[in-house]
Amino acid sequence: MKGPVETCDVAVIGGGPAGLAAALCARRAGAGTVLVIERERALGGILNQCVHDGFGLFLYKETISGPEYAERLAEDVAREPIKVETGAMVLDLSPDRVLRINSREGYRLVRAGAVVLAMGCRERTRDMIEIPGTRPAGVFTAGLAQNLVNLRNLRVGNEAVILGSGDIGLIMARRLVFEGIKVKGVFEILPWPGGLERNVRQCLTDFGIPLELGATVVEIRGRDRVESVVVSGVDEALAPLPGTERIIPCDTLLLSVGLIPENELSKRAGVELSPFTGGAVVDERLMTSVPGVFSCGNVLHIHDVADWASFEGLAAGERAARYAAGERGPGRTIRVSAGTNVKYVLPQLLTAGTGGVEWSFRVKRPVRGARIEVTGKTSGRVYARKKYARLLPSELQKIKVQAAVDEDLEVTCHE
Amino acid sequence: MNERAFVDRLTCVLCPVGCELEIGRDAAGELRVEGHQCDKGVPFALEEILRPKRNLATSVPVRGTAAKMVSVRLSAPVPREMLFPVLAEIAKLRPEAPVRRGQVLLADVLGTGADVIATRHQGADSEERPSGARRSDSEPRS
Repeated sequence: MKGPVETCDVAVIGGGPAGLAAALCARRAGAGTVLVIERERALGGILNQCVHDGFGLFLYKETISGPEYAERLAEDVAREPIKVETGAMVLDLSPDRVLRINSREGYRLVRAGAVVLAMGCRERTRDMIEIPGTRPAGVFTAGLAQNLVNLRNLRVGNEAVILGSGDIGLIMARRLVFEGIKVKGVFEILPWPGGLERNVRQCLTDFGIPLELGATVVEIRGRDRVESVVVSGVDEALAPLPGTERIIPCDTLLLSVGLIPENELSKRAGVELSPFTGGAVVDERLMTSVPGVFSCGNVLHIHDVADWASFEGLAAGERAARYAAGERGPGRTIRVSAGTNVKYVLPQLLTAGTGGVEWSFRVKRPVRGARIEVTGKTSGRVYARKKYARLLPSELQKIKVQAAVDEDLEVTCHE
Repeated sequence: MNERAFVDRLTCVLCPVGCELEIGRDAAGELRVEGHQCDKGVPFALEEILRPKRNLATSVPVRGTAAKMVSVRLSAPVPREMLFPVLAEIAKLRPEAPVRRGQVLLADVLGTGADVIATRHQGADSEERPSGARRSDSEPRS
């Protein structure tokens, strides 16, 4: 490679709740030079547009809004000798941890002792769920509408329908009502809401907004601007039920139909991705299949609470600093898989003989009287067991195994 | 079990257990709560049914800047029926830059006891942020 290559101990890609926490902890764990690269002009990531409160309960022990959370974390970072570059983009990441960075200072290469991936996620779009119909203005992803309303003071429409009941969709339903926009209904294809129960109550029920489960938008109509959408019930296979269609006049359709970890750079570096999370396959150190490359926050798996993304960042940052200082894990790893009713378990890999590891998991469907078990695949031994009155797919849960484990594991959920 | 009129069903959000509470009205017209596993559940349910309180968040334009907004919230929740009157008051606000996080933009809004506070720093267009990111401002990316 031509030209001088700059070096740093830990490079963090992304300055949101996970990346900032990773930078902080990398520094505190002894990394000499820590670099944070953020594409936007402000640190904080998506938190900047999440003006509602409910953040920080775990990290700051009080409930604050997204911007406050972001600023406090950015201030913590500013107190440390951490180099922060905003308005800078990592164009490429190689398996040997060379970053190609395009910033206001120009294009350059940086070789990092360890890299923390914290790029966050993107929203699924109309194209990705293939809604038929015309292509008029007035179709927004919920997060885009949130940006337009909260940061740019723009009115997105007058009468809206929301497809998908994820938290952003629910939050935006209330936000639109606050802006004087009529919300005609929220439609969710699954038989249960995608967002947290508290949000269903405080964002929909409070304002008399109907939530219809088992229904979806099957057509968008309108020439220049959305004029109506066609809503239909669905069968058990989630296919539209003929004869149940009805037309809902509206000029705006908001989509809250899922988030996808943004792993374009990870793929460039050769990081193995999981089809279940959309993020990297990691071990208990949050290290990916590429040595020295760690992953945390929404780029690893979708979180419902920003605080958990930050905690993951803290862990990844510490491990990255230790890797940069020369620490290498011992060889053999065991696999951890998701069994009955469990959508995914993370980390998916574990260094043999490690104990005291906490797993994150999500269930596939709401389960009442749930019994979560972590079982050894060879011995059948139950390493951990936890009971819940009920579990919802919208809630990321955790379970810890104290014992040192030396065999493949499976996590199951039974009623 | 006595005959009771169903009033509402809610999930207690005070802790991660998330008890499912069912609120009914007994023959004497008194509210009854069931399903709580600790003694916080009953007052939580009664407040939610009788006097629900909510915080609210929005953003307002900042004077003296090109197109900047500052996000705001209430320092404490207010009775739910006050949400729209309070929003109407917030809509009139045009704070002058710079605005600091935690700055009270409107004290004791409509006598609720809650203040409208800024939830981020917003400098004048020329100003750098005093802390946090170097060289960053909070203008949304275009």
